[in-house]
Amino acid sequence: MNTSELAIEANAVTKEYGDVRAVDSLDLTVKRGETYGFLGPNGAGKSTTIGLLLDYLRPTSGTVRVLGHDPRRDVVKVHGRVGVLPDRFSLYDDRSARQHVAFVAETKGVDDDPAALLERVGLEDAVDDDAGDFSSGMEQRLALAMALVGDPELLILDEPFGGLDPHGVQRVREIVHEETQRDATVFFSSHVLGQVELVCDRVGILHEGQLVAEGTLDELQNQTASPDDGTIEDVFMELTDARVNHGGETR
Amino acid sequence: MRWSPLVRSESRTVLTSKGAWILALLVVLWGFRPTYAGWDAVGQNITIGYIQIGVDLLLPIGALLLSYQSLLGERTTGSIKFLLGLPLTRTQILFGKTVGRFVGVGTAIVAATLVLAGIGLLEHGPFSLVPFFGTLVATLLLASAMVAIGVFISTVTRRTVTAATGVFAYLFATLFWSQIVTSLYTAVTGIPVDPYDAPASGPLFLVLRLTPDGAYNVLTNWFLDVGNSTELFHIVYTKLAPGISVNAFVVEAAFDGSGPWYLHPGLSLVVLLLWVVVPVAFARRVFTRGDAL
Repeated sequence: MNTSELAIEANAVTKEYGDVRAVDSLDLTVKRGETYGFLGPNGAGKSTTIGLLLDYLRPTSGTVRVLGHDPRRDVVKVHGRVGVLPDRFSLYDDRSARQHVAFVAETKGVDDDPAALLERVGLEDAVDDDAGDFSSGMEQRLALAMALVGDPELLILDEPFGGLDPHGVQRVREIVHEETQRDATVFFSSHVLGQVELVCDRVGILHEGQLVAEGTLDELQNQTASPDDGTIEDVFMELTDARVNHGGETR
Repeated sequence: MRWSPLVRSESRTVLTSKGAWILALLVVLWGFRPTYAGWDAVGQNITIGYIQIGVDLLLPIGALLLSYQSLLGERTTGSIKFLLGLPLTRTQILFGKTVGRFVGVGTAIVAATLVLAGIGLLEHGPFSLVPFFGTLVATLLLASAMVAIGVFISTVTRRTVTAATGVFAYLFATLFWSQIVTSLYTAVTGIPVDPYDAPASGPLFLVLRLTPDGAYNVLTNWFLDVGNSTELFHIVYTKLAPGISVNAFVVEAAFDGSGPWYLHPGLSLVVLLLWVVVPVAFARRVFTRGDAL
C-alpha cells in the first residue's frame, strides 16, 4: 500500500518501562478515511500506543508515521492536522468552555467559531460556564469539541464514550459518522464494544501490548468458535481470555 | 507565533491568581522602609532603595511559587495531554510556559514597583530616573531568572512534593549563601572569614555574588552608587561609613580600590542573564528528550 494512503503506520513498535513491555512489536496500519476501533482490556496498551502516535511518549524501538510524517520530527505538521481527545485528562477549571476551544483554535491558527463547535457536541447551554463546574460527561463533550477544531484529517479519540450518558454516546457516534463523511480518518480506542460495532470499518484488538486480531467485524467473527452468531463481545472475550489463559504465548 | 496563545494563557493564569497580587502587595509593604541610614546613603533615591528591599527578599520566593507548578501541575492533572496535542514543539511549549509566567510575574512586580515609586515620590519628592529604570530592568531580569528556575524545577520533577522540596532547597541555599560560601572557603583554604573584616579574596567575593538575588543587589547598588556588594544599599553605605563596623561583604572595604576586574558590578548583568538562559536550556534538554507524560 502506498504510504500516502495511510493515516497511521506503526512498524514493530515497542515501548518498555523498565522490565514492563507496554507495547510489544506492534504493527498497525490505518488507511485514510477509515474508522478504526482499537480495542483491548484495561492495561492492554491502548493509551500508550496513542501516546506513541502523538509523540507524548517515545518508542523504545520501531517507527511511527502519522499522515505520512514522523510525529517526533514533524510534530507541528502532524498535530496541526490531527484532533485529539485524550484519556484521563483534566481541563482548566477556571476557564470557560469557549476559552478552551478558542485556545486550541488560536494555536492551530484557524478561525472556527467556538460556540458552533460547542453546540455540535451538545454544550450550547454551557458555552460560557467554567469547566470546573462541568460533570464528567460535559468534560468529555468539551474535549471532543476541542478535538474537532480545524476539521482535522485524523481524529484520535481515546475512550470517547467514557462518562457519557446515552444521549452523549449517540452524539459521539453521529459526530464520528459526520467526520468520516467528510473523509476524515477516525481512530479510537474503547472497551465499549457495542459502540465500536456500530461505527467501525475495521477493528484491532490489543492484548498485553500485542495486536492479537485485526479485521472487519465479519473477519473477526470468523476467527471465533461460533462464527455465525458471534458478536464483537464474543470475539473480544475469546481472544483476550485465551491470551490471558495462555499468557506465555504473547511474550 | 504559534505559541503566543500559550503565553497569553500562562500570563492569565498568573495574573488571575491571588498569589501574584499578594506578592505585589507584600513587596510594597516590606519594601517601604524609611530609615536614616537609607536617606543618608542615597537621599531622595531612597525610593529606589525601597524597590531593592522589597524585591530582594520577596520576588525570588513569589516567582518560584508562581512558576514551579507550571508544567508539573499539568502533568499531575492530565491537562498536559491537551497541550502536547497542539501543533507546538516541546521547545515551544517550554518557551511559552516560561515567557507566559514571566509576563504574569513581571506585570505584578512592575505594578508593585510603580506603587513604591508613587509613594516615594509623594513622601520624598522626585528621584533620579536613570537608576530607577536601571533597577526596573534588573528587577525584570531577576523575575525572569526566578521564573526560569521555577520552570526548570517544574520540568525535571515528577511529583509535587519533590518540586516543593527543590524550591525550599533553593530558597534555603540562597538565604544562607554567605554562610555556606564562607564555611566552604575556610574549609578549602584554611583561612577563617570574619565578615566584619573580610579577606581580600577575589574568588570569595565572586562566589558570593553568583546567586540571582546577590547579582540583583550588586547591580542595583551600582545604579544607586553606594558601593559594590550583595548587601542591601543602606548596609553597604553603613559599612563604608567611617568608624562603623558591620558584618557585610563590601568590595571597597576589603580591597584597596575596586578589587579584581571580575568583581565589576556590571558583570552581575551577565550572572542574571546566565540564570535565565542556563535553567531554560537544561529544562529544554530534559523536556525534549524521552516521554513527556
